[in-house]
Amino acid sequence: MVFLRRAEPPQSSSALAAASATQSSSGFLPGALVDRPRLSARDISVYYADVQAITNVSMDVAQHEILALIGPSGCGKTTLLRTFNRMNDSVRGCRVTGNVIFDGEPIYRKGVDPVALRARMGIVFQKPNPFPKSIYDNVAYGPRLHGLVDRQAELDEVVEASLQRTGLWNEVKDRLHKPALSLSGGQQQRLCIARTIAIAPEIILMDEPCSALDPIATARIESLMRELARNHSIIIVTHNMQQAARVSDRTAYFHEGHLIEIGTTDQIFTTPEQSLTEDYITGRYG
Amino acid sequence: MNTLQLTVLLAGLAVLFFWLGRWRARQLARVQGGFKHLHSRPDYYGLVAALWVGLPSLLVLVIWWMLEDRVIAQIVLAALPEAMAPASAAQQELVLTRLRLINSGALLVPDGVHWQQATEQFRVLTERSQYGRQALVLALAVIAGALSWWRIRPAQAARTQIERLLHGFILLCTSLAVLTTAVIVLSVLFESLTFFQAVSPWTFLFGTQWSPQMAIRVEQIGASGAFGAVPLFVGTLMVAGIALVVAIPVGLMSAIYLSEYARPGVRDVLKPLLEVLAGIPTVVYGFFAALTMGPLVRDLFAGIGFDGVSPQSALAVGLVMGVMIIPVISSLSDDVIRAVPLSLRDASEGLGATRGETIRHVVLPAALPGIMGGILLATSRAIGETMIVLMAAGLAAHLTLNPLEAVTTVTVQIATLLIGDQAFDSPKTLAAFALGLLLFVTTLVLNLIALIIVRRYREQYD
Ligand SMILES: Nc1ncnc2c1ncn2[C@@H]1O[C@H](COP(=O)(O)OP(=O)(O)O)[C@@H](O)[C@H]1O
Ligand SMILES: [Mg+2]
Repeated sequence: MVFLRRAEPPQSSSALAAASATQSSSGFLPGALVDRPRLSARDISVYYADVQAITNVSMDVAQHEILALIGPSGCGKTTLLRTFNRMNDSVRGCRVTGNVIFDGEPIYRKGVDPVALRARMGIVFQKPNPFPKSIYDNVAYGPRLHGLVDRQAELDEVVEASLQRTGLWNEVKDRLHKPALSLSGGQQQRLCIARTIAIAPEIILMDEPCSALDPIATARIESLMRELARNHSIIIVTHNMQQAARVSDRTAYFHEGHLIEIGTTDQIFTTPEQSLTEDYITGRYG
Repeated sequence: MNTLQLTVLLAGLAVLFFWLGRWRARQLARVQGGFKHLHSRPDYYGLVAALWVGLPSLLVLVIWWMLEDRVIAQIVLAALPEAMAPASAAQQELVLTRLRLINSGALLVPDGVHWQQATEQFRVLTERSQYGRQALVLALAVIAGALSWWRIRPAQAARTQIERLLHGFILLCTSLAVLTTAVIVLSVLFESLTFFQAVSPWTFLFGTQWSPQMAIRVEQIGASGAFGAVPLFVGTLMVAGIALVVAIPVGLMSAIYLSEYARPGVRDVLKPLLEVLAGIPTVVYGFFAALTMGPLVRDLFAGIGFDGVSPQSALAVGLVMGVMIIPVISSLSDDVIRAVPLSLRDASEGLGATRGETIRHVVLPAALPGIMGGILLATSRAIGETMIVLMAAGLAAHLTLNPLEAVTTVTVQIATLLIGDQAFDSPKTLAAFALGLLLFVTTLVLNLIALIIVRRYREQYD
């Protein structure tokens, strides 16, 4: 099995070998599967040209849960996240093998329209990226695109509801037609979340949504996530261990493109089984 | 020693003083215990000394040069005896030219004691001036350099001095550019004012007759000329308009294809190919328009029942001009479209937008200011283009809105007005300046409009 891309400390590679041994014996990692999954990755590998970024990842996402993806920089968290809604399709040279099952249907298959798929899975990026349009037009972008509403009044309602749920409504209701770029960083990120939930996605993918925000803005977004989890499944990539511990139900730890360990957040943070996971969580990594 | 040698010598001196200044700064620093006691790095002290060598002496050299000729001429002319004293400025110039030619050996000294005296004086003065100039410049260079070298102190703010000088130099360059523009505009303006003394501005701006044929000699019979610029402007706007109707969609679509859809390899080949269009000399476009496009358009329209289509139609000219300015739009737009951040496209596609929807709703609006800039540049080129129209469209100015007829444009008329012999102060010639002024104002207004549009748009979205 060839999976090492760069030279690394020997104890790390032997730990990695031990970790993959666990996987190959059972086929799936313990804790990777759930009853009635919403979304499942099966044997996913991702390559950028000749470089393999993700290796044979299999795991499930349950209904209405928050799943945290953690791991050192460059371990492939963003890549995996973008695999779920086929955002990697537009990246030149990117190739995906294996499949993702969404509501019982494989999404990497001829005949599946990635555009329609993305409308069902919202994504929030690391850096707030509002369109250079008004606040209103940002939130209305998706509903207008998909013809979700017939009348202006309905659109107004959707916009208001989305902004309400992200806690932004009271801050912006008097300047809905002002440029979105005039908002603060935290407000912009909440606007991006509002823009995403305005299309009523079933699953929300979040790629380090708080990494550019201050603690207060972060706290607001975390409480928003708990609130959203009542209706959506959320997959969140985070660098912040406390954040993973605070908000997520389950946690998956990645290392060099491998899924090393996955389980309830409690279990991962209190009694990790793999030495790699333990090193990372206790800050001994690197 | 000629001027070139003198300049080289000055440069040598400057380099020498650079070394000396740097060396002295280092010495002073060493005495005090290290470079940290210097205000600036040693190089800066050397640079200050070198500049003191070079700049004042160069300035004196230039001033001397400019005055030399005139001073010598005055002295020689003043010394001429009554009999030879030139009566008019033209004669004065003649005498001086002759003296200069004699001095350079191109003419033999004419007979007559006065000529010999004058020639001798001219030669002596020129020679002395040369020696004086060299001595003064070199002395100044050495003295200024030595003084500044002597005054080097560790606390001297050499770095700041250099910075200030650089600042001044940049300012000088900028003002030169602005000044040149101002001079051009003013000269055009003044000539136009002279023109407007002969032809009323009202007639010029709103007259619909353009036939600038003037009597060259007083006794010649001929039209007194009609200077109504409306037909020219209508012609210009029509041709430029047709060109833009071709170039904007084609250019914009090519830009979108290049930046959004083409694979990198394809793009690397296609973009330079498209830019070749801009490199073709306009003369080539001109004969293409005259010999191919013109007849083609006429035959085409004759085929569908339009008779009397001119082979020099505005349509043919506009089409060819449109092809010429495609790359101006496509190349600039391609650059600004590619500059739209990937994160915005990701955001749009992440919301389930297709590629096309993303381009229409996000990428193009974000790139609009840059695209407007490209279109504006293309418009200026279309309005200013002369050669294609000169070769492929007519010279006759008749007012029409029919693109199948021959028209003429402002630039073509400017060109034809100034070809041939006529008095420089005849209205016919001066009309060129008035047309130029009007053209200048038109482009200025176009620029302003585009600027306002872009700013409005920015206010809305930034
Ligand atoms: N567009 C791309 N082209 C080539 N390599 C990429 C690209 N995006 C990511 N990678 C590589 O894939 C690996 C995983 O990257 P990423 O998924 O961004 O990691 P993470 O989000 O965990 O920091 C890294 O080694 C990175 O260099
Ligand atoms: Mg990442």
